[in-house]
Amino acid sequence: MLSRLGGTRNLDWTTLSVYLGMVILGWLMIYAVTASEVDKVGFLGSTAGKQAIWMGISFFALVVIYSIDWKFWQTFAFLIYGLTLLALFGVLVFGSNIKGATSWYTFGGASIQPSEFAKFGTALAVSAYLGSYKTSLKKYSHQIVSMLLIVLPAGVILLQPDMGSALVFSSFLIALYREGLSPIFFWIGGFIAASLIAGLVFAPTDIALVMLVFALGVIAYRMPQRRWWIGGVLALGAAAFYFRAEEMVHYSLAGLTAVFGLLGLYFWSRKGPRLVAPISLALAVGIGLSFAANYSFNHFLKPHQQDRINVWLNPSKCDPRGSLYNLMQSKMAISSGGFQGKGFLQGKMTKLSYVPEQSTDFIFCTIGEEQGFIGSFAIIVLFLTLVIRLTVIAERQRSAFSRIYAYCLAGIFFLHFFVNIGMTMGLVPIIGIPLPFISKGGSALLSFSIMIGVLLKLDRHRYNL
Amino acid sequence: MEAKSSRLTYIQTLFFVAALVLVGKAMHLQLLDPSFRKEADAVAIENYTKYPSRGMIYDRNGKLLVHNNPMYDLLVTYNQIDPDMDTTLFCRLLRIDRDYFIKALQKDWRSGRFSKSVPFVFLSKISAATFARFQEYLYRFPGFEIQLRNAREYPLPVAAHLLGYIREVNKNEVDGQPELYTPGDYIGANGLEYSYENELRGQKGFSIVLKDNLGRIVGPYRQGHQDSKAESGLDLLTSIDLPLQEYGEQLMRNKRGGIVAIDPKTGGILAFISTPTYDPNELTITNNTRGDSYGKLVQDPHKPLFNRAIMAQYPPGSLFKPILSLIAMQMGVLSPDRTIRCGGAYFSGGQRLTGCHGHPTCTSVSMAIQHSCNAYFVTVFRDVVDKYGFYKPQPGLDTLHAYLQKFGLGQKLGVDFPGEKSGNFPASSFFDKWYKEDKWNSVWIRSLGIGQGEALATNIQLANAAAAIANRGWYITPHFVAGYRNSNRKVDPKYTQKHLTGIDPVYFGPVVDGMAGAVNAGTARRASIPEIQVCGKTGTAENPHGEDHSIFFCFAPKENPRIAMAVYIENAGFGGTYATPIAGLMIEKFLKGEIRSDERKYLEKRMLEANLLHLK
Repeated sequence: MLSRLGGTRNLDWTTLSVYLGMVILGWLMIYAVTASEVDKVGFLGSTAGKQAIWMGISFFALVVIYSIDWKFWQTFAFLIYGLTLLALFGVLVFGSNIKGATSWYTFGGASIQPSEFAKFGTALAVSAYLGSYKTSLKKYSHQIVSMLLIVLPAGVILLQPDMGSALVFSSFLIALYREGLSPIFFWIGGFIAASLIAGLVFAPTDIALVMLVFALGVIAYRMPQRRWWIGGVLALGAAAFYFRAEEMVHYSLAGLTAVFGLLGLYFWSRKGPRLVAPISLALAVGIGLSFAANYSFNHFLKPHQQDRINVWLNPSKCDPRGSLYNLMQSKMAISSGGFQGKGFLQGKMTKLSYVPEQSTDFIFCTIGEEQGFIGSFAIIVLFLTLVIRLTVIAERQRSAFSRIYAYCLAGIFFLHFFVNIGMTMGLVPIIGIPLPFISKGGSALLSFSIMIGVLLKLDRHRYNL
Repeated sequence: MEAKSSRLTYIQTLFFVAALVLVGKAMHLQLLDPSFRKEADAVAIENYTKYPSRGMIYDRNGKLLVHNNPMYDLLVTYNQIDPDMDTTLFCRLLRIDRDYFIKALQKDWRSGRFSKSVPFVFLSKISAATFARFQEYLYRFPGFEIQLRNAREYPLPVAAHLLGYIREVNKNEVDGQPELYTPGDYIGANGLEYSYENELRGQKGFSIVLKDNLGRIVGPYRQGHQDSKAESGLDLLTSIDLPLQEYGEQLMRNKRGGIVAIDPKTGGILAFISTPTYDPNELTITNNTRGDSYGKLVQDPHKPLFNRAIMAQYPPGSLFKPILSLIAMQMGVLSPDRTIRCGGAYFSGGQRLTGCHGHPTCTSVSMAIQHSCNAYFVTVFRDVVDKYGFYKPQPGLDTLHAYLQKFGLGQKLGVDFPGEKSGNFPASSFFDKWYKEDKWNSVWIRSLGIGQGEALATNIQLANAAAAIANRGWYITPHFVAGYRNSNRKVDPKYTQKHLTGIDPVYFGPVVDGMAGAVNAGTARRASIPEIQVCGKTGTAENPHGEDHSIFFCFAPKENPRIAMAVYIENAGFGGTYATPIAGLMIEKFLKGEIRSDERKYLEKRMLEANLLHLK
């Protein structure tokens, strides 16, 4: 059949086999979780049966994509982007509300989640825009346009509200980075994120102390006779930390700030603002953000929102019966698999529905429980193979569009796989996004299949340019 | 392309490191950290609530009023039920029928309130006896488990209104304080159980356990480090005198009314009676016929659930006279030796306005109180109201109003008990509004002077007024709480603070003498007790619905009083007939411990046997 469609020359078998392997593995896991349904509602009515139907639809989509001209996707990139965006707006009006989010169109028994397809649409649009020879990520206006392409669908998805899916759009930063977006943005972004998270975990006064001592250290390093200066700063820092209990911390902070001011002015007067200005700015922003994060966490967030963050950053503050419960059950299930796992269909925790959302977002628990460390390791390696392979494919493209598209996919799959697996083990906060190819869910499977299909098609014609 | 390929390296490194982190975490969970895999068989962790025992309630001598009675809830985890279990045996052991079994397991799984993997209550309030039989077979019913709860039990069938009862929380209470209550919890619904809910409740504890796939507990989660103990509620010590309470309830049997007795020195309530009453064990949460009992009590025409000690409001009638005397003397419009003639009624402008009864001419305040002369007190009332002129009654009436408030009348006292009513004594603004354009005057409102008309008081307010007179000018807000056993928690300071009535102590002499005279040789003779001087005042509260209510308030002994009380009996006519002897008997019982003389025993017997329930 493939030969009639133009043969299999230049087809990337690695990607295709990883894809097929994971889809089949995913289906087996879904079957493992929901096997008991088959007796009650018959195969086609069960979750596994429905998933099988979606698998059929997805494979059919692959064949269709394989037969469409490869230029189609670049030509109609913005049109497809527009359509997916329209579907996102539409779902806010016509969609049905499931579990508190208006994210689905329902037709009869099936539901379609447009945010899954928006990822594909955005990948096409970003690739087409950046791939154009007119675009340069060195220009501010082009940076802004490419950011807008990404932020627009993410913003509409936030209105549903679906934090998890919106977060996926940050994965396009990987493609932007590869295409030349200055790393300074990532440093700044990373610094801001770190300040915010630190503000949630530690006392902001402590963060301020650390940042001040660090900034003093940087200036001291640039002073003549730096050995004495650094020694002084370290002594000062030790003193400040010694006097940070109770009310004393305010005096310590005031003292350090005064020393920083004096030293900064002295350094500025001798060597100009090139070092002191950015350090002062970073200090102000970092301390400000950590205070702001701490304050808004305690004053603006509702208890259930605080819980979400606490489950991730401060599990000891959480009620093990409440917010921590899901995560503990999830960890227990994975942990109980041990090295070898309990065996296929033998996972008791997952079968007895101790784990929430076990066929969708928490499917990794089933793998962990039934296949043990061997299974977890294998899945992680499979995903790593896929994303690395995608970067390799990307680099061999002659067309910029195809290259960027491959990077977009690498980013999307990487984020999904890291966040999803990470959350079931408590590494990252619990964010509801599926494990690609494996989690139950027709829209996700079809959309991910289309992404892979288009990539395979583009890659097959890489010499045609 | 040099820069680009280095960026490729960075991206690939990121992917590698991330995957390495995930593998590391998986290794930690699955291979290294044993805390998540205590037992190979453990498949689940589950939370158990440990219910605290509710605080007990004691009387002033340490006798128990309420204690706890163990009972059990049967919990079930739906997806652990053995489909082949012996349901016939199960139902027989628990004395339930098949329909209940099926219905109790059919929950709305989609609602989010129930989960197939989380235990929920299958059957509640299982008695210790049923539980003992069932426990032997529990192992045959996987998925089911037992949880200990505490219900209330009352050693004596008394003080039902006073103690109140507990019931399951309703949705509003759960939504209002989700951190304290979950559906199925108990909450004080009335009486002291309600007032002291926060103290009596205690704090729930939690334990997290590991379970196997049959629902059997394998062990504590993380060696129980995250468990918390249940903390028992505080035991409440009250000022109630249990023998007096019990005796008063016996005397009030087959009568509708209320009695409040107060220790005037502390403000502590000694007895708090409302009849008809019921056995508090009827409404205890373990009683399976509780619903029926409650229905019967609601439908009873004598309204046994209505708390006549604190919620009934009625005109204080002649009980108002001693208080009016005190205020009039303090205001300077009445001297203790004033004579006012009474021609069998109060006359004004030649018209007979307020009737009176036959008695000698009253030549002093004490004599007027002793004989309860209406003409005397209407005159005094008018002098009070007209102090600033006949055409300017407002300031006079408002001064009286202000003094009455200092006696705790016409406003809620702030008793530590739910459902308190405020009573009423109108101020000038009320009459300004009522008569609109007309200029009202003291004659029009004269019936207030003898405690009729718009005046309303509750039994506890009158008992408190008696305590204020007993103390010659001050009272402490009546209350039940005396302390907490084995706790350093202090009683609310408002229950130790003296309220002054603003009346000079010298004016109490004639009033107290008058009240003593009423008992010795006046309207309240049947309250007199050998060797103890009781001071009291009878009254008749006019009742638009039927026969007058019989009322009486008093304190004893005259010097250094130890008890002040108010008695009110519905539809019993003149206050001297039933209210006075019952008060006298209770005082004798309280001060002497028993009823001694044969004559008194005869009176006691008559009171115990009197049935006034048929009166309307």
